[in-house]
Amino acid sequence: MSDARIQGYSRALFEIARAEGTLDEVEDELFRFARSYESSEELRTALTDDQVPAEKRQAIVEDLLGGKATSTTTQLVSMVVGSGRGRDLPAIVDQLVQRAAGSKDLDVAEVRTAIALTADQQARLKAALENATGKSISLKTVVDASVLGGIVATIGDTVIDDTVRTRIDQLKSRL
Amino acid sequence: MSFLSTISLIAAENVPNDGVGSTSLNPILPPIGEMIIGSLASIIVFSLIVKFAGPTIKKSMSDRTARIQKDLDDSAAAASAAEAEASKIRAAKGDIDAERSRLYADADTQAEALLADGRVRIDAEMVDLETRAEAELVSAAGRSGDELRAEIARYSSGAIDSVVNGTLDNAAHQDLIESFIARVGSSTGAAS
Repeated sequence: MSDARIQGYSRALFEIARAEGTLDEVEDELFRFARSYESSEELRTALTDDQVPAEKRQAIVEDLLGGKATSTTTQLVSMVVGSGRGRDLPAIVDQLVQRAAGSKDLDVAEVRTAIALTADQQARLKAALENATGKSISLKTVVDASVLGGIVATIGDTVIDDTVRTRIDQLKSRL
Repeated sequence: MSFLSTISLIAAENVPNDGVGSTSLNPILPPIGEMIIGSLASIIVFSLIVKFAGPTIKKSMSDRTARIQKDLDDSAAAASAAEAEASKIRAAKGDIDAERSRLYADADTQAEALLADGRVRIDAEMVDLETRAEAELVSAAGRSGDELRAEIARYSSGAIDSVVNGTLDNAAHQDLIESFIARVGSSTGAAS
């Protein structure tokens, strides 16, 4: 999909969520769903297979998110998948997150960890990143087992990587 | 009666007859009349022979002489040709000997040249082979070293993953997270 179309979809989703007054919640749910979508090949296949009717793909989304996310989030994802743009869902959501953060003069910090962070850890990490970068941060956490341990934070073009995976990779390259 | 019979009869009338037969007065020579008649008869016979058989005999003798001469000439010519042929053969034999000597000399020269070239080529090939073998040995040693390092790295990588996965419990995860937060929090405006 072209950047313009991704921008269009993300703007539409942003405006709907803001109009509904659930922007923060929807943004967070969409972000988590997009990361789950990226990490699950089975989910990607189910939501992007053109042989599967749009209604069935939307039913899959509703089964997955129904009761676990707000109805706005469910309907927005269902709309994107039903229109055959499932492949671009992560890019659309990332644009939405950037747009939402930008609307509040925040920079998005995507943080990946091997285990889930507690609320306290998230708050302290947010403060630490704001202190390190001098920017106001919108923290987005992703549980990613591939990092093995530690944290990697991405704020725009800046990457702060202190993961076990990276250390192992560096050790392997030295070997 | 023929002429000869008449002469014989006349002669016989001059020969003394003792009653038994004609008897010569000389034990060696016949009676003169017989001698004359015999001589005349001989002359006549000889003359006739000379007259009638002489040309034939003479021609025959001439032919024979000519034939013998021809044979002699042919023999001389054959002998001359044989001598010439023998000379040629002797010359040819001499040429063959010279040619054989020349061929032997050429063969020796070529063999020496080939031997010299062969020695030079073999020396060069030996040097080339030694150089290539040394390069191959160095390359093989390098490859073996690289393969060994790659093998060690592969085993080490697997071992590291296994050890890390086995030792990263929740406490270790928490330590890593807290360490990260503390480190980032202590830095100011210099994220890397």
